[in-house]
Amino acid sequence: MTDYGHELLFGTFITPTAQPVHQAVELAVVADRAGLDLATFQDHPYLPKFHDTWTLITYAAARTSRIRLSGNVLSLPLRQPAVLARSHASLDRLTGGRIELGLGAGAFWDGIEAMGARRLTPGQAVSALGEAIRVIRAVWDADRPGPVSVHGEFYQAEGLKRGPAPAHDMSIWVGAYKPRMLRLIGRAADGVLPSLSYLEGGPGDYATINEHIDDSARESGRDPARVRRLLNINGTFSQFGRSFLNGPAEQWAEDLAGLALEHGISTFILATDDPATIEEYAAEVAPAVRELVAAERP
Amino acid sequence: MTHPVRFGALVTSVAQARRAEELGYDLVAVPHAPDDGDDWTLLTWIAGQTEKVGLVATGLDVARGEPAVLGRAAASLDLLSGGRLELALTGAHLDEVTGIVRGVLDAGETGPLRFLGEHHRVPKAQRGPLPAHRIPIWLTGNDQQSVRLAGRLADAWVADLERITADELATAYKQLEAAATEAGRDPEEIRRVLIVGPGLSPAELTALGADTFLVRAAELPGLSAWETLRDATGPIIFRPSSVRAKRRPGIDYDGVPAGLASTAVEPGDLDYARVRSTYMRGGAPGLVLRPRTTSEVVDALAFVRRHPDLPFGLRSAGHGVSGRSTNDGGIVVSLAAMTTIEVLDESRRLIRVGPGARWTDVAQAIHPYGWALSSGDYGGVGVGGLATAGGVGWLARKHGLTIDHLVAVEMVLADGSVVRASDSENADLFWAVRGAGANFGVVTSFEFEAYDVGDVGFAQLVVAADDPADLLVKWGRAIEEAPRDVSGQLIMGPPRPGQPVFAQLMAVVDNDDPETIIEQLQPIAAIAPLYQQNVVLTPYTGVISNAAEGGYHQGAGEPVSRSGLIEHLTPEFARAAVELLASGAVHWFQIRTVGGAVADVPAEQTAYAHRSANFSVIVMGSSKQRVDAAWAPLTAHFDGLYLSFETDLSPERVEDAFPPRTLARLRELKHRYDPDNLFRDNFNIKAATR
Ligand SMILES: Cc1cc2nc3c(=O)[nH]c(=O)nc-3n(C[C@H](O)[C@H](O)[C@H](O)COP(=O)(O)OP(=O)(O)OC[C@H]3O[C@@H](n4cnc5c(N)ncnc54)[C@H](O)[C@@H]3O)c2cc1C
Repeated sequence: MTDYGHELLFGTFITPTAQPVHQAVELAVVADRAGLDLATFQDHPYLPKFHDTWTLITYAAARTSRIRLSGNVLSLPLRQPAVLARSHASLDRLTGGRIELGLGAGAFWDGIEAMGARRLTPGQAVSALGEAIRVIRAVWDADRPGPVSVHGEFYQAEGLKRGPAPAHDMSIWVGAYKPRMLRLIGRAADGVLPSLSYLEGGPGDYATINEHIDDSARESGRDPARVRRLLNINGTFSQFGRSFLNGPAEQWAEDLAGLALEHGISTFILATDDPATIEEYAAEVAPAVRELVAAERP
Repeated sequence: MTHPVRFGALVTSVAQARRAEELGYDLVAVPHAPDDGDDWTLLTWIAGQTEKVGLVATGLDVARGEPAVLGRAAASLDLLSGGRLELALTGAHLDEVTGIVRGVLDAGETGPLRFLGEHHRVPKAQRGPLPAHRIPIWLTGNDQQSVRLAGRLADAWVADLERITADELATAYKQLEAAATEAGRDPEEIRRVLIVGPGLSPAELTALGADTFLVRAAELPGLSAWETLRDATGPIIFRPSSVRAKRRPGIDYDGVPAGLASTAVEPGDLDYARVRSTYMRGGAPGLVLRPRTTSEVVDALAFVRRHPDLPFGLRSAGHGVSGRSTNDGGIVVSLAAMTTIEVLDESRRLIRVGPGARWTDVAQAIHPYGWALSSGDYGGVGVGGLATAGGVGWLARKHGLTIDHLVAVEMVLADGSVVRASDSENADLFWAVRGAGANFGVVTSFEFEAYDVGDVGFAQLVVAADDPADLLVKWGRAIEEAPRDVSGQLIMGPPRPGQPVFAQLMAVVDNDDPETIIEQLQPIAAIAPLYQQNVVLTPYTGVISNAAEGGYHQGAGEPVSRSGLIEHLTPEFARAAVELLASGAVHWFQIRTVGGAVADVPAEQTAYAHRSANFSVIVMGSSKQRVDAAWAPLTAHFDGLYLSFETDLSPERVEDAFPPRTLARLRELKHRYDPDNLFRDNFNIKAATR
C-alpha cells in the first residue's frame, strides 16, 4: 500500500482536433461545467489534424471559468523552455492560477525532425528535459536577483531576463515510463504522468514507477510526496461489469480507488471526446472515488 | 487607394481589447504583453474573449520557436477566432520564417513542405491546418533592408510615428513600392500600417499615406472624428498578383457580378482547397461561384452563359457520383450556402428545404415534430442532387422515393427565369425534375411533405457467405417477402485468399415495437450463419447521422461506378455477380432495396420510371476498363439503372436510365427549357430536334 496523501483530482484528456474547429474547446467547457478539476490536451505539433496545443489551451482557458488546464504533455523538442515558462506564467496570471505545465521529452522523432528540430537519443532527451526544467524554474523565479544563467548541453540561457512568475506554485508534470526519466522526476519535477494504455504490465507497473521516483527523490533530499502521481486512463461505461474500467460508474469508482490506495495515484485523467461520458465521470465516478479513498485514509 | 481604411488599437489587456471592440475598431494590436509575459498567449486570451475584432501581435518574436510550429499556431488561432488573425513578425531571418509560415498555412498545396534555408530547415512538414482566411503577414523595421524585405514579401509593413518622421515615412513608402515592383508584385498589395497618437485629424492621417492606423492612447478615443475616412472606402476584394497568377484561361474573372464577387473562389484563393474537390472526385475548377439567394443564382447562371465553351458543374453538397459537380478549368456554381430548412405548414407536414442542406440536417430539423423523410443511407449527401434524381433511402419500401414526397420546387431555368413547378404549375417541368432535374435548371428550394416516423429498428448483421450466390438469392427472396417496414442493403467485397467470405446485411425496420422488429428481421437473419449482429432501436436521425462533421471534401481522381436495377435476384444473376466479385475488378458491391411503395407510383408519373425493380445494384472499382469488362455479363439481367450511381458517359446509359417514352418526353422538354444545353453535368439528355 502506497499513499502520498495527495488531494484527488479528476480530469479529461481531450483530442485537440482542428475539425470541427471548436470541438475541443466545447468539451473543455463541458468538463468545466461538469465540475472536473482538469482539462488536458496532447501535443503533436507535426500533425496538422490537431490544433496547436498551447493556442488551444489558452483559448479554452478564456472560455472556461473554473477548470485547470495543462498539456498532456507538451513536446519539449518543438517548444522553447523559456517560452514555455513565460507563456505558462502569463496564462496562469490571466486565469488566476488555473494552469499547470505538462511536459514530455518528445515522442515520434520522425515527426519532430520533419518540422525542423533536432533528433535526440533517449538519453539526450532526458538530459535536455532536465535542463529545460532548470530554465523554466529560473524564469519563474522572478524575485531572484540577476538574470537566468543555465549552461546546458542543449539549452543555453545566459543573461535571460527572469519573470513573470506564475500566479500560483505551478507544477511541472512529466510524461514518463523509463527509469532515467523517472529518476529525473524524483529529483526535479512535481508529477509523473504516464498513460495506462502504455503500461505493458497494466496498472501494476505503477509500483515500479513509484520505486524509481521515490528512491531518486530521497537520494536528492526531497520528500517523495512532493511528486504527484497522475495517470491517463481509458474506459467504457457499460451496464454490467466486464473488466477494468469497463462497467457501471460504481465499478469504475472501485477500480480507481484501488489504484489510489494501492499506488498512491491521485490524478485520473480520462481520455474521451464524449460529453455524456465526461459528465458521468464527473458526477458519478469522481465523488465516489473521493469517498472510498477518504474512508480508507487515516 | 486600394485598401479600405482601418483603425486598430494598441492594447495590453483584455479589458482594453473589449473596449476597442465596443468602439468599433477593426483591429486590436498587442505590442507586447505586460511584465515580459508572452504576446501570443495574451493575444489568444483576447481572441477567446472578443467576438469580431481583428487580432495582431505587433512584435511577435520569431525566436519563440520553430517557424513551422508558429505556422500551425497561427492557423489554430485563425480557426478558433473565426478568421480574425493577422501575423506580425519580428526577429532574424524573416524571409525564411515567412516562407516557412506561409508554406505551412498553404494547406491546399500538394505534398509536404520542404524548406531548406540557411538558418531554418524544414525537411518534410505536413501542411495545415488550413486557416479560416488568408492570414496577412506583417513585417516591420525602418531600415532600408527591412523595408525592401517587406516590399518583396509582406502583406503589410508597419511603422511607428514615434520612430519615423513623415518625410522618412514617405521615402520608406517609395522604397517599399520599388522593392515590390522589382519583385514583380503590385505595390498596392501591401498594406501600410502606421502606429499613431490619438490627436491627428482625418486630413493629417490621409496625408501620411497609410491605410491602417493603430492608435496608441492611454484612453482610447472614439472613432467618430475619423469616421469620414472609413466611409470613403468600401470593402473591396483584393487579390494579390500571386493569386491572380493562378487564374485559368477563358474566364472573365473581373466580370463576376458584384454580389457574387465577395464569395467567389478562384484557384489562388485560400478557400480553394475547401471547394475544389467533391466527396468522390478530385477537381481543379477555374472559378467557384457561391450564390446565397435565388437572385444570385440568376446572376451566376448569366455569368456561366457567357462562357459556353467551359465546363460547368452545379453543386449542392458535393456527393455527386454521376453528377460532375467539379471539373478542370471550368466554372462551378455551388449552392452550399443555401441551407435553410423551414416548416411551412405543420398540419400538412409541409417543409421547405434549400438545395445545399444535407440530409442529416433535414432529419435533425424535422425530428422534433415526429417526422422523417427517407433520403439515402448517408447523412452527408445533399438535398439538391438527390431530390432531383430519386432518393433510394432507408425507408424506401415503406414510403417510396424521396421525390415521391416532393410537392413543389422553385427553380432557375437556363434563360434565367425563376419559376415554380408543382402538379398545378409547370406540371411538365415538375414531372421532369423528379428524376432528371439536373437537365432542366437549378432547383433553389424544395417543398416536401414529410411523414410521421417513430423510433425505428436498425440492424447491422455480418453473415457467412460460403456460397455467395445462394446467399444473394436467399436474401433477395427474404426481402421481397418481408413487410414494407423493412428496407435495407447487402454489401460484399471481393473474396480474399485464406479468409472466410462474409456479407454485411443492413436493414431498417420502420416500426417502434422491438418484438415486431425482431420478428420482421428474423427471416433475413436466418439466411446464413451470423458472425455478428447489432440491432438497436433509434430515432430516424440515428441512422442518418453518419456524416463527417467539419472539414471539407478531399476526393481525388475519378470514381468508377456502375448501376443496374433488377426485379428479382435470380440464381443466374447471382452466379454472374459472384463471378464479378471473383474478378477482383470491384472493391464495392452493394444491393439496395427498392420496390414496395416505390412501385406503387405509376411509371409515367415521374421521370424516374423504372418503378418495378425491387433492387438497385451498385459496384465501384478503380479501373474503368476492368470494371466495365466485369460488369458487362450482368447487364442482361437488368431493367434500367438508377442514374445517381452510374459514372459511364456513353449515350446508351441515358437510354438505360429512362425508358423510351420517358426519354422522348424528356427530350421534348429539354428542347423547350434548355435548348442550348446549359445543364449538362449529369446524365445529359439531348434536346429533341425539330
Ligand atoms: C456516400 C454516398 C452515399 C449515397 N447514398 C445514396 C442513397 O442511399 N440513395 C440515393 O438515392 N443516392 C445516394 N447517393 C447518390 C446521391 O444521391 C447523388 O450522388 C446526389 O447527386 C448527391 O447530391 P449532392 O447534392 O450531395 O451532390 P452534388 O455533387 O452537389 O450534385 C450532384 C449533381 O446533382 C445535380 N444537382 C445538384 N444540385 C442541384 C440542384 N439544386 N438543382 C438541380 N440539379 C442539381 C447536378 O447535376 C450535380 O452535378 C449517395 C452518394 C454518395 C457519395
